[in-house]
Amino acid sequence: MKIMKFAILTLLAASTGAAHAADPFVVGIVAPTTGSLTTVGLRQLSAVQWWEKKVNAAGGIVGRPVLVVHCNDEGSPEKSASCVRDLISKGSVILLNASVTGPIRAAMPLLQNGPVMVTPSPNIVPSPASYVFQTSPSDVDLTKSIASFLKQNKLDRLAMLASTDASGEVGVASAAEVFPKEGIKYDLARIDLRANDASIQLANIVKPEVKVVFSNYSGGGAAAVVKSYNNLSLAQPLIVSYANISDAFINVIKNDLPTRLLGTGLKAVAPEMLDDPARRKHVEDFMASYKEMTKDNVDMLTLLGLTLADTADAVLRNVKDPRDAASVRTYLETNPVPSIQMLRWSKDRHVGMTADDVSVLEYKKGKWVKADPVQ
Amino acid sequence: MNPLTQSLISGLMSGAVYALLAVGLVLAFHTTRVVNLAHGESFAIGGLVAATLADAGLPAYVFAPVAIAASVLFLLAVERFLLRPRRSWPIGNLILVTLAAAFLTRGVLQLAMGVDPLSFPRMFTGAPFRIAGGVLPPQGLALIVIGVTTAVAVTLFLLFTPLGRKLRAVAENPDAAELLGVNVDRARSLAFGIAGALGGLSAVLLVPLVSVDYQAGLGMTLRGFIAAALGGMAPATVILAGLGLGLSEALVTNYAGALAQDPIVFIALIAVAVWQSRKIAFGGTGRA
Repeated sequence: MKIMKFAILTLLAASTGAAHAADPFVVGIVAPTTGSLTTVGLRQLSAVQWWEKKVNAAGGIVGRPVLVVHCNDEGSPEKSASCVRDLISKGSVILLNASVTGPIRAAMPLLQNGPVMVTPSPNIVPSPASYVFQTSPSDVDLTKSIASFLKQNKLDRLAMLASTDASGEVGVASAAEVFPKEGIKYDLARIDLRANDASIQLANIVKPEVKVVFSNYSGGGAAAVVKSYNNLSLAQPLIVSYANISDAFINVIKNDLPTRLLGTGLKAVAPEMLDDPARRKHVEDFMASYKEMTKDNVDMLTLLGLTLADTADAVLRNVKDPRDAASVRTYLETNPVPSIQMLRWSKDRHVGMTADDVSVLEYKKGKWVKADPVQ
Repeated sequence: MNPLTQSLISGLMSGAVYALLAVGLVLAFHTTRVVNLAHGESFAIGGLVAATLADAGLPAYVFAPVAIAASVLFLLAVERFLLRPRRSWPIGNLILVTLAAAFLTRGVLQLAMGVDPLSFPRMFTGAPFRIAGGVLPPQGLALIVIGVTTAVAVTLFLLFTPLGRKLRAVAENPDAAELLGVNVDRARSLAFGIAGALGGLSAVLLVPLVSVDYQAGLGMTLRGFIAAALGGMAPATVILAGLGLGLSEALVTNYAGALAQDPIVFIALIAVAVWQSRKIAFGGTGRA
């Protein structure tokens, strides 16, 4: 269908002879839409497609329609690199990458000369010399928010579960960087991505003195951690990872919710936590419009997709020639992009948010709100 | 909590599922000589159907039998429409047909059920059993007891009942069995039907403790096949092999970590395969 759409738009543009001005802006997006990371990819892709429809319904950008071309990397590094090559060959002026750590890293060396690629993965901390920009806080920032939450609650002990993939490696490195500095002792166990039981790992790390457990395991399999938590009747609050603040995740664990389910999330997930009224309105408008268009609720993955769309939107509206990767990079390094929260990159930092943009949230009465203290 | 006790409990729970799946695989293998690589799809179908019906508000006494029936129908269809018309094909080709069926089923499940993992409420609830520092939820106990009992019952049926003997006769020599009045097609349908029931039952027992999605099938086939291969594709020994596989995976995870689990399991599988092929190399009568 997307190939057909691409072909028709291309043919139309070619046959009219009019108009270079009517050529679509091609925006390439890599997102896993099959495999174990399907939820991660689909939710973000859906937000970008919402933006495509909305922009085109309003007459496009500077008179040109936007064409979002999707490539499914299935969460595989090899396919991710192949997707990026393919999307560049199709004329993408900007690339969005809604995949996860390993596949995104595999694609980065292909962008030595652009185009700019934007990703929301907190595990990616791009070199300021690169053409890669990241819209989330870094994983270290997320870990800092957990450390800060523990300190606020006068806790110095944590049990941590990390997956055995590249995302898990980043989580382990962030924990080693942040927790000791903050005087927090932590016990770590690893879990295979395909495992359907985490009770052995939990039995090894959840000791009586541990008051909070953190799972940085993302993707659908994270449900195994919550299910095992329930199987063991553990009472400690469980903090789940950034990527699990989603309806799909809640749906699969709804019969096994821990006594307290916490998560590291952007403040925009609970818009009442946003200080800037313009950002709050942007998020609330998106939530209403997205629900009307897709009949689906917005969760954090969709909001991360919106950060990609907002960045692409800002580039296409403000950079005179978006095909010039150097101009796009300079624009992003020198102009904040208003999105669900302000995205601020610089010549020294290609990570768009900081620890201040994150909060430990709690799932209560069907929604994520600011977490209550831990007793 | 005692990690060793918890490992043994987790290992028994996984092992019971592997045993059920392995018995189903062996049953189908013994009537067709085909390793059915679509076997695990019966688990995925059973789990997804149960989760969907439970989500629609149906009680367990409705969704559980319907889910098992769906799994039975699936494997009956694989035998009737894919394998039976191609009976004259080489075994290797038929195995590829079952692999194609597995991928096709995965695609259909993705379209029909969506991509998100699903689960459903436990059928056995109440306070968990605390044993020597380990915790066993009532659903887990049911999984171990019902799973192992069913696997043993099917094995006894195969070994000691006239119908079971007929099924085995079909496996040994279908032409001779047919001459002796055994309806080979019916025997194969029966074997695949029972295998489907075991796949569906394992899903109904396990999924409330974990989750299931459209791509769960091949992973389950792989685990069931490893247990079946470790047990020499013999009905009586695959139950022990399934339980042993579950326990060894759990103990490896506990003592060597999750990263070591797959390498050690596959090294064990290779070692068994080499040991069995040794019988052939030295002129024995054992099958690889």
